[in-house]
Amino acid sequence: MFRLNLKIALRNLWKNKGYTLINVGGLAIGLASCMILLLYVAYEWSFDKHTSGYDRTYVVYNHQKSEDRIVSFSWTPGVMAEELRTKIPGIARVSRSTYPAEHLISYNHQNFKKKAMFTDTAFLKVFDYKVLQGNRDQMLKHPNSVVLTERMAKILFGNENPINKTVKMGGKEELIVEGVIEDVPVTSSLQFDYLGSWEMFLKENPWAKGNERDWGNNYCLTVLQLQDNDFSERVNAEINGVYKRNLKESRNFASIHPLSKWHLYDKFENGKSVGGKIDTLRIFLLLAFCILLIACINFMNLSTARSEKRAKEVGVRKAIGAARKSLVGQFMLESILLACFGMVVAFMLMELSLTYFNGVLNTNLAINYRDWTFWSALIGLTLFTGLVAGSYPAFYLSSFNPVKVLKGFNLPGNSSLSIRKVLVVFQFVFAVCLIICTVVIYQQLNFIKNKPVGYNRAGLVEIPVEGKLQRDGKMKLLREQLLKSGAVINASVFSRSLSQGGNNTSGVSWPGKNPKEDVLINFRYTYYDFVATLGTKMMMGREFSPKYTDSSNVIINESAVKVMNLSNPVGTVITWGGNPMTIIGVLKDFVMETPYQTVTPMIMMVNPTADGEGVLVMRLNPSQSIGTSMQQITGLVKEMNPDFPVEATFLSDSFEAKFQNEKVLGILANWFGGFSIFISCLGLLGLSLFMAEQRKKEISIRKVLGASMMNILTLLNKDFIKLVAVANLIAFPLAYILINKWLSAFEFRVSISFIPFAIAIGLSLLIAFLTVSAQSVKVAKSNPIDALKYE
Amino acid sequence: MIELKNIEKYYANKGVKSYILRHVSTIIKQGEFVSIMGPSGAGKSTLLNILGMLEEPTYGAYEFMGEDVVSLNERKRIELYRNHIGFVFQAYHLIDEMTVAENIEAPLLYKKVSSAERKSRVADVLDRFNMVAKKDLFPNQLSGGQQQLVGIARALVAQPSIILADEPTGNLQSPQALQIMELFKKLNEEENITIIQVTHSEVNAAYGSRILHLLDGVIKEDIAVPQGV
Repeated sequence: MFRLNLKIALRNLWKNKGYTLINVGGLAIGLASCMILLLYVAYEWSFDKHTSGYDRTYVVYNHQKSEDRIVSFSWTPGVMAEELRTKIPGIARVSRSTYPAEHLISYNHQNFKKKAMFTDTAFLKVFDYKVLQGNRDQMLKHPNSVVLTERMAKILFGNENPINKTVKMGGKEELIVEGVIEDVPVTSSLQFDYLGSWEMFLKENPWAKGNERDWGNNYCLTVLQLQDNDFSERVNAEINGVYKRNLKESRNFASIHPLSKWHLYDKFENGKSVGGKIDTLRIFLLLAFCILLIACINFMNLSTARSEKRAKEVGVRKAIGAARKSLVGQFMLESILLACFGMVVAFMLMELSLTYFNGVLNTNLAINYRDWTFWSALIGLTLFTGLVAGSYPAFYLSSFNPVKVLKGFNLPGNSSLSIRKVLVVFQFVFAVCLIICTVVIYQQLNFIKNKPVGYNRAGLVEIPVEGKLQRDGKMKLLREQLLKSGAVINASVFSRSLSQGGNNTSGVSWPGKNPKEDVLINFRYTYYDFVATLGTKMMMGREFSPKYTDSSNVIINESAVKVMNLSNPVGTVITWGGNPMTIIGVLKDFVMETPYQTVTPMIMMVNPTADGEGVLVMRLNPSQSIGTSMQQITGLVKEMNPDFPVEATFLSDSFEAKFQNEKVLGILANWFGGFSIFISCLGLLGLSLFMAEQRKKEISIRKVLGASMMNILTLLNKDFIKLVAVANLIAFPLAYILINKWLSAFEFRVSISFIPFAIAIGLSLLIAFLTVSAQSVKVAKSNPIDALKYE
Repeated sequence: MIELKNIEKYYANKGVKSYILRHVSTIIKQGEFVSIMGPSGAGKSTLLNILGMLEEPTYGAYEFMGEDVVSLNERKRIELYRNHIGFVFQAYHLIDEMTVAENIEAPLLYKKVSSAERKSRVADVLDRFNMVAKKDLFPNQLSGGQQQLVGIARALVAQPSIILADEPTGNLQSPQALQIMELFKKLNEEENITIIQVTHSEVNAAYGSRILHLLDGVIKEDIAVPQGV
């Protein structure tokens, strides 16, 4: 029975090749889209879940109360770990570490800037990466020890045995390789290439050593592993007041956040986790299933549209003794078979497109053929698709009354047609929603991108000041050489990257400040010629200049003026850490951290020697090619600071990187919106095929009676256009609500205009019109006699 | 074998009942060859469909081999006609996607006959109908007469005790029609299969043993055909 049914199903599919093609194509695109999205969701979902105790591991969060809100971050004081270990029961292990940051590491005069974390011995027990060489218990005990990842060991030593070899860090500290661990998977929030000891961190950063027992400085990551998850509530309750217990005046509180949620639930409001990336992920999940559903609907539409052809078969089968059950089984088999074909094609589509998506999404999604979850998901998805797609046609077709269908099939009433109409409307509602959302996402992206950043991004390059450049006036010298070489026309120094936040203080006060108020203000050190280098301007006053002694002068930005509420800023004396400073100028606001929010207030002080940490900011000479300029710059920097690789960043690139999330969303919405429209159109095509067949006779009679081609086209297209128009009407409010919700998360946002809606209705109507016309033109042009003579 | 008591069938349309069958009562015994005749719209096909359990009477009692069909549930009813009834249609109604052999095999599949038995029964029927050479052809490769032969073969393969034929020769030319009627007569006489056919043709009806004349849903005449024609 099964074999025969299979054979018949195959014959049926082969006989109606066009129909099969539309169906398999639709299902394949739907399945492929769904699976790519699911792969992406699974990838994001798997973050930080690769160590064995991940479900018992928590990250300590620090919540800082200010006047109007609570700022939450996972930076804690260094003393936190010890406090937790000794005073709170239920904790198995606590580890403190720095966040991964690039440090120079060298062996045999080969220098690499690779990500390092400085941590304690507990770290490798909390994160139990496989130890390939060395003894886990002894690792990082010695101040001068280093543990490499497998990849790092390969880079440094090739095939040599790395154990007990000496490497140099930062050009001065000698470290001994104690062990090699497996590589950190890409799905880890903590990406590092090697681990150094905590003592080494203290040695490198003397300020941290001095502050080791201080509860006011947050500079490290504290992770803890519970003995048992039952303790989590108690630990959370205990840890809440840890700041107050140790620092009387503190208004901060702490909490623990599961490691498994660190990546996806990264947004906090009022000290509570309120989601984060998980929201995008949910959108993708929804998108995945909607696209699959659209493909299934397609199948339903096409199968029921062909019911006339199948009706006779159903009647005969029933008359010779088939129970309804076996007919349902037969139709289900057919749809599952189609779903299987679809899956095979979907596979090819996936393998072809994964490289593209990986490039766009910045991931390395791959199909893991040895993973049973993949296979079960695959089989599950295929069966699910087959069953969903086949359900309606199976029950619909098998319900035919044999007497009626054998007597001659009449249109199966208006009911089934209206169900098909509802299905088509549903498809188009979804497609139209996606078009609108995509357009708005792009509008928003463009809006933010084109919002003035406050300086001229083009041709602006920064290089980190490292190693020898930080000392003995080398920086000043380099700057002069660069200017002289003609590679750059302006250059200055800034104490942090222009595209980064951080380094802020609440210790600034000004005349008229409310003493209870905590206002975070960014502080930066800069060098002369900053304004010209950035291509910005002073709104008031002057900038730092070698002609004056500016050591007790500051420049503030416009936001700071607003926050301090100064009517006449220039000349006002403010204090920072008790030192009085005179404002000599107001700089136009420019975007550093995020273009999505208002600019943070900032004060700038002068660094007349140009020594110390920071970046060298340069405006390239526009009259020569970028390549030449970069070559000259690299040469000069290398000459001055041979130990470090030269890493120049174009500000326009780092600015672009800030849009990654929205860009991904835009691209995905674009692609999958396109797919869903395409699939919907396949459905429409199928339906119009059916309609053309059904109304052949009517149209022939009309033609004989004298209807023109135009009349007939209008007649045939009208119904479908109506459906799409109705879909648009339903989709508009839906899309409006959705996109409004999305936009409300942005401080700066486009207002929703009629343009996306106009585009959506225009596009959907046009595509629908073209699809339907492809069929109706054929019918309208056919010779009426052909259709009539068989009657 | 079959007993109809007061069968009525009507469709209510806007409160007006339009009767198809009225007060139809008759008894058909095992081994009879009955022809139902009458003008178009007399209710012949409806009566046949009710006999074949494809339609339900609006009113009345129908006993098939001692069982009250009207009160049976669908599963039982399917069971009953799977085992006892074979259909032959005017338009043959073969399944286009199946070969001749597969078409014949189909009812056996629904009866859950074992594979080996199916093979032998299909081979047997093909042999009897001289269609072995055509077993792998599809219906549209056959002539009308041949298609109807396949239709009858399909009805016979399940070894029914009764064959219901709705104008089996309506689409055929007369030589082929005669051949089909001869076949029916042979089946009736040699295998004692009850045959009920709907026909317009006096010639065809003459092959049977009994004629029911229907007019406007009522049995007007019930006459035995003099044998030996």
